[in-house]
Amino acid sequence: MKMEFGEFLAAPECGVVIVTYPDVFRTEAGLRHGKFSSEYQELSAMIILDPEDMAKIEVKGGDLVEVLGEEGAVVVRVKESEKEHPGIGYVPEGAWANILGASPVSAKVRRSQQEIPAIEEVYHR
Amino acid sequence: MVCTGCALLCDDIEIGKNECRHACRIGDAHITSTNKIDPMVDQSPVDMDAAIKRAAEILVSAEKPVFVGFGNSVTETQAIGIKLAEKVGAEIKTFHTGIFNDILNGRVKTCTLPEVRDYADVIVFLGCDPMNTHPRLLSRYAYYPRGEKRQHGWEEDRIAITIDIRFSHTASICKDAYTIDPHRQIEFMDALMDALSNKVPKTTYDKKRILKLAGTLKKAEFGVIFAGTGASAPPRDGTVRLMDRLNESSDFRLLLLAPGYNLRSIAEQLRDHPCDDGDGGSGSGGGMDLHEADCILCLGFDLMNSLPAHDINGKMIVIDPNETLTSRYADVVIPCAAGGIDCAGSAVRMDGEVVEVPLIRESERLSDGAILKQLLEVV
Repeated sequence: MKMEFGEFLAAPECGVVIVTYPDVFRTEAGLRHGKFSSEYQELSAMIILDPEDMAKIEVKGGDLVEVLGEEGAVVVRVKESEKEHPGIGYVPEGAWANILGASPVSAKVRRSQQEIPAIEEVYHR
Repeated sequence: MVCTGCALLCDDIEIGKNECRHACRIGDAHITSTNKIDPMVDQSPVDMDAAIKRAAEILVSAEKPVFVGFGNSVTETQAIGIKLAEKVGAEIKTFHTGIFNDILNGRVKTCTLPEVRDYADVIVFLGCDPMNTHPRLLSRYAYYPRGEKRQHGWEEDRIAITIDIRFSHTASICKDAYTIDPHRQIEFMDALMDALSNKVPKTTYDKKRILKLAGTLKKAEFGVIFAGTGASAPPRDGTVRLMDRLNESSDFRLLLLAPGYNLRSIAEQLRDHPCDDGDGGSGSGGGMDLHEADCILCLGFDLMNSLPAHDINGKMIVIDPNETLTSRYADVVIPCAAGGIDCAGSAVRMDGEVVEVPLIRESERLSDGAILKQLLEVV
């Protein structure tokens, strides 16, 4: 298998404080389509980042990032913020955010090649 | 009809054949949801009797049972749940109810939602985002409507302000928004206290803006603070201290925006109750931690999707109308009718008003109250 040179370099990281927030569209998707639906996952497994922080970790809107919190790590999709809030990442309330620890929680964010885990994979009993 | 999608309990809902008029996004999805579950034991489908029997066996053998939730059940069901908890020696964790006690025991002033509509001139949304949690609050009561003493509504008669760790959707429509650092909430509250006491605040926040905010709050004729109860809300004692200070110079009342349509009712029923930890948080403020419990009964509450992960080792019983993340992992799943949809009863609106909740449609599902009653008879 051919390895690219870039694969030996660690993806750049950025420290952020994760703040969770309620989202009416996510709540609606959970009720209408169920919490195991793709609609619910799309609206839950995401992080809103400041463009400055996105530049630091070399990602654009729609890319996947790994968020490493105090209690766990999870892969989510990046959405570019319309407001400036460097150093703060907003994640919708729910299983994907809970894995990181109680909000507000310090975390590191970096580009990821992994897939977003399904909700039943996020929580292991 | 009455919508049980949130604690506003909107009573103007009209249900047609294929439509649900006046409800918000949450209410419409809640009322029309078809996301049901089957009774299960150890992840295998069983009949209702077998599921209830297995739940009873787990409850009887438990030494440290904990009941969680209760905010999405009618008042009558909550009362039966309390009796069952007493009988099996279970602790009840309702989450978010701690600050309700300060309202219920008269420690802080409160008011009704119609009073907000008729009299409120300064409205503060503190650590909450009603546009995303209680979508019709602003249009029915808090901001847009004309009221008896507020005939010009939001355009001239009302000032709405948000104080939050995020610039929320609610913030985007308010006249003023204070976005505070997630790790410096106490500094902001202290600075605001100083400004309310006519002192120049010692803070790294914009002093002029905080003094302007204090000036607006002090001039209020009928001020209302809507406070969140979740992770974004300031600590309970900080909110109470702010209320005390505000009421030295003006007239402010507190109302809480908590998840669940009937959380105030369970807070009322559990006031000074030995079964409740009443900490309003994740169980760390008092009582047993969830990982210590050997049995957790989730009543209308998706524990695993709602709180940071707990190292849960105990048996889990879920009584819920819908499939949830918790039901996927539970040892026993008992489906029930949903309050205000296929189960009638009463509920307490977020401002304390008792609301009768009628049936929207008949179903064959047992109510959660009937299930708890059966458990009460056999344990």
